[in-house]
This record gives sequence, C-alpha cells and structure tokens, in this order.
Amino acid sequence: MRLASLALTLLIVATPNVTLAQDSVKADEQIIIRQIQTDRRAVYAQNLALTDDESEAFWPIYDQYEAEMKKVTDARLQLLDAYAAKYDALTDGDASEMLATRLKLDKDAFTLRQKYAKKVQQALPSVKALRYVQLQDRIDNILAANMYSLIPLAR
Amino acid sequence: MHHRKPMLFAMAVTAFVTLASPFVAAAQSTVDDQQQLLAQIQTDRRTVVLKSMALDDAQVAAFTPVYDAYQVERKKLADRAVELLNTYASNYDSMTDDAAKGILKDWLALRDDENRLIKDYSKRMAKVLPDTKVLRFVQIENKLDALLRLPAVRGVPLAQ
Repeated sequence: MRLASLALTLLIVATPNVTLAQDSVKADEQIIIRQIQTDRRAVYAQNLALTDDESEAFWPIYDQYEAEMKKVTDARLQLLDAYAAKYDALTDGDASEMLATRLKLDKDAFTLRQKYAKKVQQALPSVKALRYVQLQDRIDNILAANMYSLIPLAR
Repeated sequence: MHHRKPMLFAMAVTAFVTLASPFVAAAQSTVDDQQQLLAQIQTDRRTVVLKSMALDDAQVAAFTPVYDAYQVERKKLADRAVELLNTYASNYDSMTDDAAKGILKDWLALRDDENRLIKDYSKRMAKVLPDTKVLRFVQIENKLDALLRLPAVRGVPLAQ
C-alpha cells in the first residue's frame, strides 16, 4: 500500500475510544459548531466586501438561512447523541434507521443551501453570490472534516 | 490519542495535497494530467475504502462489484468537477455575472448529484451487506470527501 493510502487508512479507521464517543463528542461538537456559527458571520462580512445596499439586502437573508439551518444542525446533533448512546451495541436496525435519518438531513441541508443560494443570487450580483457559496463550502468543509474526525466508524 | 490524531490528520492531508487536489491541479494541468491524477485518486481511494470497511471474504465478494460500479459513477462526477473548474479558471480574470451564474448553477447541480449517488448506492449496498456495514461505508465516504476536499476548496481562489 502506498504511504499516502496507509496514512489515510489509519486516519479513517482510527477509532476514538468509547469514552470519547459517549462523553466528549457532543461537547466537542457543540464547541466547534458554536464557534463556527459565531465566526461564520465575521468571515462573510470580511470576505464579501458588500456595499451598504448589498448589506441591507444580504444580511436578512443570511439570518433566515442560519435560523433554518440551525434546526437541521440540532437534528444532526440529536442523531449523533443517539449514535453515541447505542455505539457499543449498534444493531442493523439502528444502523438502517440512523442512515436513513442521516441521508434525509443531508438532503434537507442541501435543499436549504440551494434555496438560499438562489435568494442571495437575487439580492447580490452573481459574482458575489458565487463568492458567498464558495465561502460557505470552505467553512462547511472544515466543519465536516473536524466533525468526522471525532465520530468513530460503526462496527 | 489527542496528539496522534492531529498528526495523522496533518500527515494525510500533506501527503494527499498533490494527489487529491483535482481542483487545484486542474487549473494548472493538461487534460491528460488531470485524467492521470483522477485515476490515481480512484486507485488509492479503493484501497483505503476496502481496508477501512473490515469485511470478511464473502462480504468483500459482494461489496466489490457494487463499489466498483459506484466508483464509475463517481468518476463521471469528478470529471464534471474538473470541467467546471476549467470553466471557472478560464473566466476567473474577467468573471461576468452571466458566467458566475452558470458556474453556480452547475456547481449546485453537481453537489445535488453527489448526494443522490451516495443515497442510491447505500440502498444497493444494503442488499448485499449488513446495515452496520452500509453505515460504515457512508461514514468512510464522508470522511474521505471531507479530507480530500480540504486542500481543494482552499486552493481555489474566491470569485472576484
């Protein structure tokens, strides 16, 4: 196996211990998510270089998006709690149900992103709307990489 | 554990920067180079997934054909991503609103298709593997996507 493959395999299967799965994941997740939510607004403000008129149009849409997305994030955290609680004795029934919920939440999140990308596009020039979605991708990707590194794989 | 994970993370990301950044590489490479990179990523990804799934022999036999079919579909999406990046790169210096609108639309459609693909194949996997293994497969794919996209999303300059 190539060195890079080996390193990545180790990273993928490196399983946080059960204590981490049950006790710390939720706390870590909450900290990361809270921090990202706070910082996210500052990142957009700093990087979108909006005029006064653009700001007036953009921020109410952004706040609506965040409020709606919070519901999906909360549901994801609930699912993570359920996963951590059942981790040691996860049945196929649990796994099937959790995967269905997980995929539904992913779809819900994407639908929201799509809906709000269109709203932002109506409020801002398309170049800035594209920049907004690029920033969103960067932030979400960093968040996802952090989250997945904390969640042990199903056994 | 606390020191080991970030180290492994940094090591894997560093090792994969050139290998797994089709977006970054695509902006600078010929089409042939891009195809070669994509082929390499797919080979490595298959090795990593097979190793990480921890399957028994019967499960490997059932899983592999479905996974290979999944990889074929993923490659089509990766090709679309490279094509889209090339469009982005060629418009970058004088990005018009129309060009940005088209790129944004194609980008969202691509992400939608990626979500649909994993959902579709998780159903196919569920016919040949226990559900806990299907969940594990989706978790591995998610982890890989998140890791491999990190250098890519950071390497592409924001629209201006």
